[in-house]
Amino acid sequence: MKARSIAGLLFALLTFATPIGAVEVYDPLETVNRGVFWFNDTLDVYVLEPAAKGWRFVVPKPVQKSIDNFFRHIRFPVKLANNLLQGKPREAGIVSARFCINTMIGFFGTLDPAEQMGLSEYYEDFGQTLGVWGVPHGPYLVLPLIGPSSVRDGCGYVVDSFIIVYPLYLPRFYTLGSRAIDTVNYRAQYIDEIHNLKESTFDYYITVRDGYVQRRHALVHDGAGLSEEEQHELYYGDYD
Amino acid sequence: METMTDPRRPNRISRPRRTAAAAAFALLAAATSVSAAEGEPSKVIRLTTDAATQVLQRTDISADEKRKQIEDIVKQYFDFQTLARLTLARHWKELSPEQQAQFTREFERHLSITYGKNVESYNNEKVVITGERQENGGDSTVKTRIARPQGNDILVDYRLRMGDGRWQVIDVIIEGVSLVANYRSQFQDIISRQGGAVRLIDVLREKNARGEPIKS
Repeated sequence: MKARSIAGLLFALLTFATPIGAVEVYDPLETVNRGVFWFNDTLDVYVLEPAAKGWRFVVPKPVQKSIDNFFRHIRFPVKLANNLLQGKPREAGIVSARFCINTMIGFFGTLDPAEQMGLSEYYEDFGQTLGVWGVPHGPYLVLPLIGPSSVRDGCGYVVDSFIIVYPLYLPRFYTLGSRAIDTVNYRAQYIDEIHNLKESTFDYYITVRDGYVQRRHALVHDGAGLSEEEQHELYYGDYD
Repeated sequence: METMTDPRRPNRISRPRRTAAAAAFALLAAATSVSAAEGEPSKVIRLTTDAATQVLQRTDISADEKRKQIEDIVKQYFDFQTLARLTLARHWKELSPEQQAQFTREFERHLSITYGKNVESYNNEKVVITGERQENGGDSTVKTRIARPQGNDILVDYRLRMGDGRWQVIDVIIEGVSLVANYRSQFQDIISRQGGAVRLIDVLREKNARGEPIKS
């Protein structure tokens, strides 16, 4: 199977990955990455963004939100498995409770009544699990169509795509269709933000790369902030 | 935060209520100087975001006027000199004091142009302060959540430092992504590729000249 051989390749790469500091970005494949990034961005400019703009114009806000809720909802197996794998039984329980409540009284997850009950989401994926287990981020990778990633998160992505069971019992047509709706709807939530980012940046590639690495670092550490050394480097260096 | 208008009825404030809002705003402006001296980072953020949201919700002034007012609010609470210095890190010393001031000015302008654009896309977002953390070394981090009506809330942390006897913002961390860190790597790249921190001032100035916000 194709996905499996990619996973094998990524795991092989991971073993050669050099550990790096969290804020520091390790990007030995920058030349290739920039090429793929350019490819993805071109696709975004000519296909995805126009589609998202049309979508935003046509689809009412509450419907967009419901669709967004629904696709988060069906990621339940991924969230459950990874909370358990990271040794977070409490969060795993909350995620499960959310799934039950929102399935039963939230119209199959299109609404989020659990949030109003004080049960907030705990999003985890396998890339984060690997991070919690101490696997370093590894070289930064830009994957075609998927976007910013790393050797570690790429592996996580492949593993998670096996945990998501819902496509297995649906015909391929529906899987692809739902995937397209998910992507366009998600992109539509961030039209202004991405537009502003592109305009404000000096080097869009670097902004996205560093943003990605920092964001993933924050997710792995559940927003606990930077370590002592990282804080020192960022805020207390002798720069006067 | 509770002073916000009902999200289901945006921009429908009756005249007496509008006068009341104006009075509240005036009081707020008077209260700011007092609370900043109290040295409570969360309070500083609350006042900043409250004042900014008040301006954003007004319907009787132009986008340009809103931008100007928000700039004034931000200037009060942000320490741009420290922010600029941290983004340059060790390259800061390569600049003369005049160049440092120039860089700070251009960087501040860049931020104001960049974030000033968001004034027009304001869509009844609300700021909720979720916590505060004392950092080793004296700084303080205030954690907030921007609640968006269409969902996908955004987590924003503010790092504050005591300077001139008051707490000032020295970094904004959006979903774990630090403004300082992100600009630092972009700037270092420009510095190493294009020849020195002095060149960076020109790059900034050129970009600022091009990125002038569209008059509305």
